[in-house]
Order: sequence, then structure tokens, then C-alpha cells
Amino acid sequence: MQGFALYPFDPPGDVAALRTDLRAWLAVNQPQGDIVARANCWASFDADFSRALGAAGYIGMTLPTRYGGGDRHPLERYVVIEELLAAGAPVGAHWIADRQTGPLIVRYGSAEQCERYLPGIVRGELYACIGLSEPGAGSDLAAVRTTARETTEGWRINGQKIWTTGAHFSHIMLALVRTEEGSERNAGLSQLLIDLDTPGIAIRPIIDMAGHHDFNEVFFDDVLVPHSALVGTRGQGWQQVTAELGLERSGPERYLSSHALFAALIDAAGADPEPAVAVLIGELTAEMWTLRQLSMSTAAKLAAGEDPMVEASVVKELGNAFEQDMPRRVQAIVDCPWDDPSDLGRLLRALLIASPSFSLRGGTREVIRGIIARGLGLR
Amino acid sequence: MSAAREILCDTARAVFAEAAMAGVAPVEEAGFALLLVAEDKGGFGGDWGDVNAVLQVAGVMVPDLPVAELIVTDALLPAATVSLMAGAMGQALTLSIEHVNTRQQFGRPLGKFQAVQQSLAVMACEVRAVEAAAGALAARLDAVGLDPAAADFEMAAAKQRANRAVGLVTSIAHQVHGAIGFTEEYDLHRVTVPLMRWRGEHGNDAYWAAKLGRQVAGLGGQGLWGAMTSRSDDIFQSV
Repeated sequence: MQGFALYPFDPPGDVAALRTDLRAWLAVNQPQGDIVARANCWASFDADFSRALGAAGYIGMTLPTRYGGGDRHPLERYVVIEELLAAGAPVGAHWIADRQTGPLIVRYGSAEQCERYLPGIVRGELYACIGLSEPGAGSDLAAVRTTARETTEGWRINGQKIWTTGAHFSHIMLALVRTEEGSERNAGLSQLLIDLDTPGIAIRPIIDMAGHHDFNEVFFDDVLVPHSALVGTRGQGWQQVTAELGLERSGPERYLSSHALFAALIDAAGADPEPAVAVLIGELTAEMWTLRQLSMSTAAKLAAGEDPMVEASVVKELGNAFEQDMPRRVQAIVDCPWDDPSDLGRLLRALLIASPSFSLRGGTREVIRGIIARGLGLR
Repeated sequence: MSAAREILCDTARAVFAEAAMAGVAPVEEAGFALLLVAEDKGGFGGDWGDVNAVLQVAGVMVPDLPVAELIVTDALLPAATVSLMAGAMGQALTLSIEHVNTRQQFGRPLGKFQAVQQSLAVMACEVRAVEAAAGALAARLDAVGLDPAAADFEMAAAKQRANRAVGLVTSIAHQVHGAIGFTEEYDLHRVTVPLMRWRGEHGNDAYWAAKLGRQVAGLGGQGLWGAMTSRSDDIFQSV
């Protein structure tokens, strides 16, 4: 990991025009609803917005044109994603399908899976969830126990997933299951693409401490899916998931979840802020600017076909700390009652409550630091 | 790194090794003062990417010599200091990793303990952040012809971020080294003491935070994002 140098972020085409077009589109199409929905907006579900965004060509941008995709460069997609997040657009419905399920289907899926799922993903109409965590397998993902037995009719699935974000509105789940009887740890796992309307699947809500229904428990009771549900290579599920997590960790969502609060803080401070507020805005700006450089560099490295596992983890670790600290630091400096009705007050309260999840989702802080330590040669 | 820059860094390492014993004279004699001077004016014709690379080496090898002052104008000394700091922090991390991988306690290397691993991961994140800040500042400076006013935002952000990293980087480096890192004989203080000094030179944390904060307040909430993106888009367009 020594000698880290920034990788140049240089997307093809006119980047400024890409931003201008998208900002103009958002000015017309972004719902003007509750300001609080703009914070943590990649958890904000709005099917109408997703459909409109898909029709405008901003979903599945990197997917092949024969499946409706835009065949654009990954860094063009990066520009679009950071714009959507900075604007606080409600991208939650299609977020996972666009970010990881679609690309993973292209990379490992069959032609049949591509034809079946990708056009709906690109239209912003087909939503996906990720079946990784189980009651006994959270940070320790290799402890997965949900089984899929191959029979003459197809795969028979039994077991349970938990903390599954968006399972209640998703059409498909990409699940990590144990296909090889008697296998242990990260061997013998495979990925199955499961239609969630298949008989035998029960989805139950878990309400989070903010009162929101984002995640779920998903039960599989002798669920039968066709042989063709297998994604990629049987027994290679662990390797495929590990590659998928690289896509998940370094994106701009790792430092922009609290951006609506930062913008509200700057607006509330006015053009001539008091000294303590000016210092806070300056510190947060410096951190955000630095994180953006790290995230863009990591995206450029990924786009060049390299595997920046450690850099991606650095982005997640620093980004989570930044967006988790931000509401706490704002509260420490700005006098704002708990029930303050201003934009700043409502965003502050919402993000203080939401922020504990930031260093849990996508790999806990301790797991991420362990990955970095391995990159340093300590493990 | 380009081949020309690699050669430049190799030269810097050789010259700085001599300067570490003899003072700044060998650096002057080797012509480093001409690093940014155009070739048609008898200089090396380097850019800030070169300065960043050379000063990262200087931050490790000759942190107490006025190498930056030799190469850059006063207005760019905050930017130069970020490069020195990035180099010194990289060295602090290297020394720390080497130490915990060799020093045995309780029957195994210190680096095998999770508590130590987690500390060093935190430190590595800080070091990577400062290296990224130095690199992004270099890209901006080169895109605007080394005009300090046109890179004011980046210079403030980079120096602020580098300053803030000093606390964690120096404290974790010393903590994982134990008593040996606190001795005059061992090399760690040769980078950690300069880091403490650089944090307060050419603008401490509060100075740059207040300056940047006032600039951003003038932009407004939406304006910050617009400014941040157009300033980096300029760099792509000029590449």
C-alpha cells in the first residue's frame, strides 16, 4: 500500500455538459417534498422518480446498449451519481440494482439473466436487494447457512436472511447461499438470483430506531427456483461477492449521505458567519474535498480494471467517519433545539438518529479497518 | 509516476543524503532552485507534480533544511508544506509497520494484535488522505499555471487536512513504537517533530479553516458543490 498516488479521474466526453444537463433535468423532475428526504437520500424510495430517471437515461448507464443500457464509461456514471447524491435526489428504489446487481449480472450472469432482468433495471422499474447477512452471519459473512440443494426441478432453498434493505419493494434478490453440502466457511457458496414472488418466501419488516422500514427479514421455506437462477460459477459465490463489495465501498455515497445538512448549515450561517461556524464549515469542506479526491481516484482505478480493495476501504472508513461526525459537530456548535422546525434543525435531528448506521452498513468499521490492516501487511 | 519524475526523485534522494550531513549547500549546487524555472530560461522546466514528489522525499530525508524555500515562492509555501508533510507521514507509517512486524511481545509480533492493527489502519487512512490532498492540490496548481490565487480553495483545504492529520499520525506512530520511538537514537522523531512544527507553520488548523469557511459561506450551500465540481472539471479539461 506504500507510495499512494492519485489516479487521474478523466472521464471521456464533456463532463461539464453532463453535469449541466443533469442539473437542468433535476430542476424540473426532482420532487420538492420534505427536505429531510434529501438527507441519506440513497435510502429514499420514490418509484416515480426512478422511472423518470431511467427514461432520461441515467440508470444502467454503463450496461450494454442491447439490454437498454447506455454503454457509457464508468466515470461518466460516477459524475451522474455524485450529482444525484449532492442534490439529495430520492434514488433509493433503484440504487442497489443500478450500483451492483446490474453490473454483476453483466459480469457473471447468463444471456438469459441479462435479457430477463437488465432492461427493467435500466428503466428504473426493477429493484434488487442483496441477500448476504443472516442471523448468524453478519460481519462474519462466511458463516452463511442458508442452503440451496440442486434437484431435478431446480434449486431448493431453505434458510433466512436478515437486515435485507429494500426486500419489501424489490423484485429480485441476489443471495449468497451454501450449495455444497458439508462445505464450510467461504468454500461451497454460490450466488442465486431469486424472484421474490416465488412461493415459500416470507418478508417481514424490521423497523429501525428512526421509525423507518428499510430493512427486513426474509425467510425461505423449501423455495424452488430454476437451475437458471445460478449466477456465475457454482461454488465461486465468495469470490463474486468480494468483487461486488468493492463496487459498494468507495462510491460518493460514502461521504455525501449528510450533504443536505452541510448545505443547510452553510445557508443558515449566511455570508458572514460567526467565527466558530466559519471554522466548522472550513473543516468540513476540507474533509469533504479530500474525500472526493480519494473517492474519484478509487473510481478511476476501478474503471481501469484494477482492484483497489484497500483504497476503497479507506474511502469507506474516512467517509463514514465524516458523515457520522458531521451532525454531532454541527450540534456542538450551532444552538438548535431538538424540535427546531427549521430545515437545519430537522435535518440535524434526522441525521443524528440515522448516523449510527453509517459505520455498520456495507461492512462494519472494525471489519473495514481489518481489511486496511491486511493491506498494510499486518495480517 | 513518469520516468522523468522517477529520475528526478532518485537524484533528490542522492543529493538529500549528502545534504543531511553537509547542510543545504549540495541541494543548491544540484540546481533544485531551478526546478520550476522554464527550460528556455535555463531551468528544469518542472511542474508542481515534480515539486510534490521532490518535497515528499525532502520531508523524509531533510525535514530540517529549507528545501521548499529554495524551490517555491512565499505564496506557495503552504502548498509546499503539504507535500513535506505527506512525505513525513508516509515515513512515520513505514517505520511503524516495520516496527510492529519485527518487535515481538507476548510471543508474537505486535502487528498480530487486533488493537495494534486497528490503530495502524486509522493512521494509514490519515496518511492516504494527506497524500491525496497533496496530489489533488498539485493537479490544481498545474492546471492554473501555479497561480496561488486560482488554487486558494485547494491550498486551504489541503493544508487544513494535513494539519488535522498530524495529531493522529504522530500519536499513533509513537504509541505503537513504545519507548524506543521516544529515544534520540531511533529515527521516528526525525519525522514526527517536523510534523508538529509544520502544523503551525504557514497557517495552523484554525487559520485555514476560518479562511476556507468564509470563502464557502460566500458560495452558499448549493454554490459549494458547484464550485467544487467545476474546479476539478477544469483539471480534466486542461489534461
